[in-house]
Amino acid sequence: MKRSWRGVIALSAVLFLNIVCTQLTVNAFFYDKFRLVLIYAACNVLLFPVSLWIYRKERDRA
Amino acid sequence: MDQDQEQKSKNGQIPFPEDNYTHNIRKMGERKLDRRGFMKMMVGAAGVFAVSTLPWGTIAFNELTGLKKRTYEPKKIADQASLKVGDAIEFSYPGEHDSALLVRLGNDEYKAYQNACTHLKCPVFWSQEDGELLCPCHHGMFDVRTGKPTAGPPKRPLPEIVLKTENGSVYATGVKRYET
Repeated sequence: MKRSWRGVIALSAVLFLNIVCTQLTVNAFFYDKFRLVLIYAACNVLLFPVSLWIYRKERDRA
Repeated sequence: MDQDQEQKSKNGQIPFPEDNYTHNIRKMGERKLDRRGFMKMMVGAAGVFAVSTLPWGTIAFNELTGLKKRTYEPKKIADQASLKVGDAIEFSYPGEHDSALLVRLGNDEYKAYQNACTHLKCPVFWSQEDGELLCPCHHGMFDVRTGKPTAGPPKRPLPEIVLKTENGSVYATGVKRYET
């Protein structure tokens, strides 16, 4: 089987977005922009099922 | 092509149908961190990120919906007639032990702050000659119009008290949100 790094790359992208969203959440919180905090926190939470989906897809591909 | 397909379906099975003698040289360690394990770890990390932002989200939600917003009872501080322009009076608000200072700056201009110095909680006094709020412990100074520190060790502004004048008296109606 040829090795495919697609899943690893996609998950890396997800983790990068996680870091970005976390930083933006904390930043918005510091400046009392609570609506933005909620949006970024929701993004972060939603990224978890996305990563799970990517993993499942890659696992079942083989 | 056929062989390829067969290989795929039998991947991960034992015995591994591959004709070489080297693929299991380090059999104990070869599956320790394979690609799938690494991907599992990444999913777990995404989960940790998701959970770690939940507290921020809940605090923000509470702030937005105002569920935990503090309300303060209005309290009469002094009569306007008893306080000359440029004078100050001490009172306590909102609690009995939260000492505060009311300064009359103009005919209709009042300012009040909680007067525990933001450095080490010494009581802050109104210095009429300097026109500043003065903390005698380490000579901290605060601007009387904004509450912001102008000199000395304190770095944060004094919490301002919201005022209302009615029927010749000055009332305290709230404390402004503490800003960093």
